[in-house]
Amino acid sequence: MSRIRFTFTRDILLAYISHLDMLRLFIRALRRSNLPLEYSQGYSPHPRFTLALPLPLGVTAGQEFGEVYFSETIEPGFFIEKLAFQLPKGLELTNAFLVSTEAPSIAALVRAASYRAKLKETSPDDGKISYIKESLEKLLSKEEIVMKRTNKKKKIVSTNVRPFIKKAEICYEKITGLELMLELEAGSQGGISPVFFLEQLQGEAPAEMPGLHEWQIHREKLIFTDNPLSASD
Amino acid sequence: MFSEEVVINDLLSRVQKPARYLGNEWNSCLKDHSSVSAKMVFAFPDLYEVGMSNQGLKILYHSVNLHDDLLMERVFAPASDMENLLRENKLPLFALESKKPLSVFDVIGFSLQYELSYTNVLNMLDLAGLPLYSDNRSMDYPLVIGGGPCAYNPEPLAPFFDLFILGEAEEILPELLSELGRLKKTVSSKKDLLLQLSTCKGVYVPSFYQPLYKQGMLTEIKKLETQAPDAVKKCFIALLDEAPYPTSPVVPYIQAVHDRAVVELFRGCARGCRFCQAGYIFRPVRKRSMDRILQLSESLIQGTGYDEISLSSLSSTDYPSIDELVKEMDKVLSPGRVKCSLPSLRLDSYSVELADTLHHGKRSSLTFAPEAATERLRKVIRKNISEEEIFSALGDAVDAGWQGFKLYFMIGLPTETNDDVEAILTLCQKIRHSFKRRARGSIAISVSVSTFIPKAHTPFQWEPQLELSIVKERQEILRSGFNNMRGVDYSWHDSQASYLEAVFARGDRRLSLALEKAVQAGCRFDGWSEHFSFQRWQQAFNQANLKMEDYAYRRFEYQDCLPWDHLDCLTEKEVFIEEHKKAIGHNRDQESNK
Repeated sequence: MSRIRFTFTRDILLAYISHLDMLRLFIRALRRSNLPLEYSQGYSPHPRFTLALPLPLGVTAGQEFGEVYFSETIEPGFFIEKLAFQLPKGLELTNAFLVSTEAPSIAALVRAASYRAKLKETSPDDGKISYIKESLEKLLSKEEIVMKRTNKKKKIVSTNVRPFIKKAEICYEKITGLELMLELEAGSQGGISPVFFLEQLQGEAPAEMPGLHEWQIHREKLIFTDNPLSASD
Repeated sequence: MFSEEVVINDLLSRVQKPARYLGNEWNSCLKDHSSVSAKMVFAFPDLYEVGMSNQGLKILYHSVNLHDDLLMERVFAPASDMENLLRENKLPLFALESKKPLSVFDVIGFSLQYELSYTNVLNMLDLAGLPLYSDNRSMDYPLVIGGGPCAYNPEPLAPFFDLFILGEAEEILPELLSELGRLKKTVSSKKDLLLQLSTCKGVYVPSFYQPLYKQGMLTEIKKLETQAPDAVKKCFIALLDEAPYPTSPVVPYIQAVHDRAVVELFRGCARGCRFCQAGYIFRPVRKRSMDRILQLSESLIQGTGYDEISLSSLSSTDYPSIDELVKEMDKVLSPGRVKCSLPSLRLDSYSVELADTLHHGKRSSLTFAPEAATERLRKVIRKNISEEEIFSALGDAVDAGWQGFKLYFMIGLPTETNDDVEAILTLCQKIRHSFKRRARGSIAISVSVSTFIPKAHTPFQWEPQLELSIVKERQEILRSGFNNMRGVDYSWHDSQASYLEAVFARGDRRLSLALEKAVQAGCRFDGWSEHFSFQRWQQAFNQANLKMEDYAYRRFEYQDCLPWDHLDCLTEKEVFIEEHKKAIGHNRDQESNK
């Protein structure tokens, strides 16, 4: 048995695919590649495949992680060659390496992710820029930002997500437009999604400022508690 | 006219399930528009998830794109959120592959699977920026064509279409497109173009035939052009093994209704159930060889990465050596990694045994369609299974560990009485009681009841639909009966939607006006209960000065001119008459026995 961890990018062509659809897409591509997939035990065996952190709908990405088990040892170079051939335009494999089958799951290592969010409107006026600036200051000065969601038992749970915002900086240039650099915690210990963050930032934007809810979000990279390569064989 | 590619990125973040509009799926085919002689877009008048499950789409996409000088792209009915965005932004409906507007194609080809999608057809033409009526479209517009089961009586759609293809199009569609590519360079008028095309196999040009009415009744369908055939004969594939079949169909990103590989075992059905249009229009039965099926299955799994393959046909257990095939399939598809499924099981012990060999793992539920609950009524519709056979098959299934059954019935069948409807209750009760002890747990039965809709080209084409008020009464008998029966889950079809379906299924050309009014009134996705509005349809019929009951309740006499009399499904009218007489005869026999 062997285990391969790999990185990939996702561009706008495939940004509107949900996490479950991404899993299905990868598994079908792997099946087509004829690589010797390792299956789980039980009534309905499925390939042992995971993606480190779900990508929200509409978000592009520069360095995502996934991992997959094979029933025999597979060279990372061979893996890339075989799988890349089966992936649609919009997904690109960038690296792959063997890791110990004993190492913790890639999903368990995720701590945070960094994002760039760009206002889709390319040349916003001064009013909008200062609105966003003020709104960001106000948001960061809060001690509590409450996110409500329904859990599996259909109960509404409130979480303070303020501590999960590690970094949020604004950057404006005439050529590139209005951009935010974010570092947001994510993973099993809790986190905040960039989509929710931007909704809070937009807040109750005045009617004469349309378009403030439209951002193109790019996840630059995932941040891990441990070097995901450190468990390499 | 708008001919640039439609930029959709900004729309995608504002709609549900944006993946419906992406294109770029695995195995999708994007060709350079300037490199081909004819461009067609396959238009499916329902949501992406529904259309992508359609086998006809997969077959035709493959058979056209096989040819380097032809191309086919796809478009589906946009959901209402996307429709609103397109209209607000004044953007035309676009094809998924190239994102080019529909108007740049040579042909827009609609798949006509069910009558309740007709409003979507017109709405899609409107979204594409085309005039609805064929008369109002010059040669500069794409030809609007249609095919599929509803093309066997397309009269309600006739004024909107340039031509229909009757029958199985995988061989003739590429020929037709090549011919069109040639003709477009030489022919100067649309009428000349259609005249030339009307001589091709299976092609029906509705503007060359004129229905004549006397006192509101159709009396004759007059042929207007001598070149056009007197009756249009359906086309069909003679040898299935030699027909093109897709082994690399488009694999959707989102889950389609049927999200699996499909291999077709045979076409047609020898059973001859009298209500079933598919059973007649897909005649004769043509079988695919076992070698070919195995070879196709292997390539399909390799080409798609699916983990399930469906052995499809109208009655798969009728495949001559089905048990051998199933065994061979297991060898070809690395066992346990690819599931094999049979979609249409007959209610007999043999089928249950087969289902059992196919099934590794938990046995949840088996689906059967007895259609009617009394032997008398089953004889009327020629669904010849006895009650004894039903119970022996279900008993075998219970013994093998199946714990649930899904049963399909119809109400409103010709000669049906309240007794036949109550028999559905009795039958389900009896099934529950008989197997209570034999099953390890209790048995869950889910019963789905639809309303019979008389269809063209069947022995019941002369029969009226049961009156709406009686349908509702009979649904009420079932609802209250099942209400008091534990362990049975009862669902039924909207009676008004079935009524409307009946109106169009045997409708004539005059209905086109009601259809146009309905679309103007906002009717869309009529097959979806959350969108269907009977009230809007009633208004539309009032505006068109037509009555739904004249169509749904009409009993045709054998000598009457039927709206589809000029369309030939290759089964003679005498056969239908004979079958119809036999059906009604079963009823008479029964009565004289009393």
